[in-house]
Amino acid sequence: MKRGDYLVLALALALLPVLYFHFWNLGGRGEQVIIRSPNSSPQSYPLQQNRRIEVQGAKGPSIIEIHEGQVRFIDSPCQNKQCVLSGWLHSDGQIAACLPNGISIQVQGRDARYDTFNF
Amino acid sequence: MKLKIQTIRDDHRIAWLTALAITIHIAEAALPSPLPGVKPGLANVVTLLCLLLYGWRIAAWVTVLRVVVGSLLLGSFLTPTFVLSLAGAAASVLVLGLAKQTGGSLLGPIGYSLLAALAHMAAQFFTAYTFFIPHEGLFHLLPILMTVAVVFGVVSGLITKQVLDRLEKMT
Repeated sequence: MKRGDYLVLALALALLPVLYFHFWNLGGRGEQVIIRSPNSSPQSYPLQQNRRIEVQGAKGPSIIEIHEGQVRFIDSPCQNKQCVLSGWLHSDGQIAACLPNGISIQVQGRDARYDTFNF
Repeated sequence: MKLKIQTIRDDHRIAWLTALAITIHIAEAALPSPLPGVKPGLANVVTLLCLLLYGWRIAAWVTVLRVVVGSLLLGSFLTPTFVLSLAGAAASVLVLGLAKQTGGSLLGPIGYSLLAALAHMAAQFFTAYTFFIPHEGLFHLLPILMTVAVVFGVVSGLITKQVLDRLEKMT
């Protein structure tokens, strides 16, 4: 093993934890949820306050619940209910969407993880 | 009219080594892998040996030919797999060339192998992200892929070192 080998190995091993911390978001709690719907601008709600919100979508109202730092779809006028099946969201960057209804919920932490969200 | 191409010693060398690399590549393709497309990359040992014994030019030729012919034989030519393979191979070969130029005297097989493996995986990831799966969620895989790259980079480097040591003992 030559000197350069040790240097490369050290750099590689130092790079790995950086990658894990950055991309696995070890420690990114959600602070607010952004709710997007087809006919209005994105609405933002803090996750600390428990509430139930009814959002109008393309096919009808979707019901979204915020409870103790988590958010989920309770009901939607879609057939497969994939949005409801997504369950509770609590971490920065997590997303659930009702595509037929055109409604999405996105959790955001302190620093915005994604600039925009489109579908 | 018969056309005869004059071959030089390098041509024969490249042909031999490419055949060896292709054989290793195809044999390795038979092994199952936990993540799609993540392989130990043992054919890269041939690339490293070429680099250290015969120089960068031969290493580059052998690598590119191995990827192209290997994909033809495996039936993945011009598929996304091929694009990823080529991107990774091109990046690793370029990085090896750069490394040899800038720090050749300081690096042994393990250093070269690590650099090549990291470049290979990074290039494949960003090619996949740009052309095939432009989804933010893909980045969740990056730490794991790079860990695998480090592990197999070291393994390939150790194998290369063993081969070089035995070759030296023979001569």
